[in-house]
Amino acid sequence: MVELAELSDRRTAPAADTPRPAVGGRSARLRTAAVSLGMVGPAVALYTVLTVVPVGVAIYLSLTDWNGFSTAVFVGFDNYRHLFADPASTRSWYVTAVIAVVGTVGMVGGGLAYALLLKGRSRTNAFFRALAYYPHVISALILGYLWAAILGTNGAVNSTLHRFGLSEPIGFLFDEKLALVSVIWVIVWAGFGFNVVLFVAALQTVPAELLEAAAIDGASTWQTNRRVVVPMIAPVVTVATVLNLVGLVRAYDLIVSLTGGGPAGSTQTFSYLILARSFAGTKVGYATAQAVFLMVVSAALALLVTALRNRQDQAAAG
Amino acid sequence: MRRLWRRAGVAAVAATAVLASTAACGAGSDDPPGQTTLRIIVNITPNLTQQYWNGLFAKYEKSHPGVKVKLELTGTISASAKLNQDLAAGDPPDIAQQITPTAETASLFADLTGEAWTKKTPLADQYAVDGKRYVVGVGEQIQSLVFYNKAAFAKAKLDPAQIRTLAQLTAAMGKLRSAGYVPLQTAGQWVPGAQFSLLADSGVLTADPDWTVKRKDRKVTFAGSGYQDYLTLYKKWIDAGYLQKSALGLTYADGQTAFLNGRSAMYMMGSFFVPAADLAKKSDGIGVFTMPTDGAYPSGQFGNIADPYVVVNASRHKAAAIEFTRWLVTDPAAVKSQLAADGNLRQGMPYPMSSLGTQVQKVLDAAPSVIVKAGARQPIDGYSNELNTDVQKLYSGASGATVAKGLDTWWNSQS
Repeated sequence: MVELAELSDRRTAPAADTPRPAVGGRSARLRTAAVSLGMVGPAVALYTVLTVVPVGVAIYLSLTDWNGFSTAVFVGFDNYRHLFADPASTRSWYVTAVIAVVGTVGMVGGGLAYALLLKGRSRTNAFFRALAYYPHVISALILGYLWAAILGTNGAVNSTLHRFGLSEPIGFLFDEKLALVSVIWVIVWAGFGFNVVLFVAALQTVPAELLEAAAIDGASTWQTNRRVVVPMIAPVVTVATVLNLVGLVRAYDLIVSLTGGGPAGSTQTFSYLILARSFAGTKVGYATAQAVFLMVVSAALALLVTALRNRQDQAAAG
Repeated sequence: MRRLWRRAGVAAVAATAVLASTAACGAGSDDPPGQTTLRIIVNITPNLTQQYWNGLFAKYEKSHPGVKVKLELTGTISASAKLNQDLAAGDPPDIAQQITPTAETASLFADLTGEAWTKKTPLADQYAVDGKRYVVGVGEQIQSLVFYNKAAFAKAKLDPAQIRTLAQLTAAMGKLRSAGYVPLQTAGQWVPGAQFSLLADSGVLTADPDWTVKRKDRKVTFAGSGYQDYLTLYKKWIDAGYLQKSALGLTYADGQTAFLNGRSAMYMMGSFFVPAADLAKKSDGIGVFTMPTDGAYPSGQFGNIADPYVVVNASRHKAAAIEFTRWLVTDPAAVKSQLAADGNLRQGMPYPMSSLGTQVQKVLDAAPSVIVKAGARQPIDGYSNELNTDVQKLYSGASGATVAKGLDTWWNSQS
């Protein structure tokens, strides 16, 4: 039978093999460092092999004229210079920027509005929340083919309108401007459900006392949402914005199946250009430079949004 | 402390295992003794379906016990793009179809010059790089063709034999439109650029077969050549309603079906359209004539090697791959099967043709030359994609001059 006092001692005493602060000799410190390295080492090794090395190799290849098989010749920053001189590249950046900005606004704004509308706990709300989320679980490639069948010249929408007497099909996918709108619409439709889940979870964390206080002060629903709810979930909105923005800057798979970058390159994003044109051709060095540039832009965008958010938070706190 | 060491050890072993398994994934696996698996990538098209290829390869496997031919699908990209990816990844197939070696890429492929049987394969010398044969084909494909709906021509009282110039072609389109037809069928995807090439190359390249070589040397430009005239003409056709903008929303297969169903009167396409018409049992209602130009009549036929095959130098079964390739391009049954499947032609390899196929053969027989874009005459990488993008701009209001200038800007930016 273990004595009560002994049990108490066992609870309060540090475990025998827990590393203690290195107060003693050098060998103890070395042991602690070795154990720490042993714990962190595998993760660092994996990260280095799977991320740092590929990025390093990519940066190196971006400075060469490698075509994917012959010996790579160092060309300095030629690929980066070409990136800004290539008309296809500049055109695709415009398309990418429009899709990223408008798509993010749509996905975050739409997701937030939808979440605020369905934040209550009821079966109906749960059903509609699931409904909003379900496109997110389907491959973007498949969604693109589905929407192509809906919006195409002979698709479901145009066929129906034709039956009602519309003589000319609407150019959802063949008119340059409308095609871009269609792409953004499908992207928002497919992706905003993920934001709904994020925002609904965040809304559950808003203290009920704050909402009650706002109600007692006579705030309308709009005022409560704008002045109380949204500021409370701002960090989640920031995360969603960064995720959406960075995700859309890399938009590719849905483009492939919905429009193939057409018509006339009007929906050709930068990622599409990299994967469908540069890598598919024999311009691996150039394609890698494009990919590195895309990585830098994505990182810069993420940092910019986070910095803006932080500044806003500090201004609000100050 | 011992427990911590143990945990660290387990984590390290796990990480090593993950890395080892990752490396193992890329290493591939060896065949069992006596068994050779040949990996091949091909283009899957409406004519050459996955089922067709597997059926063809099964015949080889049957006559060559111990050899298994594995068709590797390319997903949403072309065979050429897939090969580039596989080469870059260090895991290329043994054989690839639809690849045209260039001086830059030739070293990747087996030099077949020493194989006597390659001498008699179609266009072998035209596709040679520095006198060496790296690619062999099944037949010839011709592309400067205009297929027409006989009923539409009869209704519009048109005689296809009288359509020899671009002005006559334009006038015919007007009559066909008046008769209630969409004069010229097009589609989205790669079709507008390809059709424009069929149209313009027949004129420009018949007049000057080395135009592309000169463009590479910056001695000519799109804006200062016949290409701008063709772009302007194409724009006029769009403005006149002879080509429908809504067709850009159709897939290649949908556009083909629209023509086969009689909604449109003419369709510029290569000889590979014939099997589709045969399959739809519409061949007898369709005729064909050579592409009109403002130059010589008949013009040269823009053509290319049909079903070209290369053996990848890095193949672990090179001898078996070369033997399989020999079978693909010389075995009469295999050759005729491939020719028939894609509507291609080869001297000395007749196969039962429909009335439409026979007409295409007559067009080829009457052509003064077959213009092949290979070797130095091959445009720079990415040209067909850029041309397709730029031609589609004509549908959105861009002028022929703007598009020609855009093509020059793009071309110059690539060199």
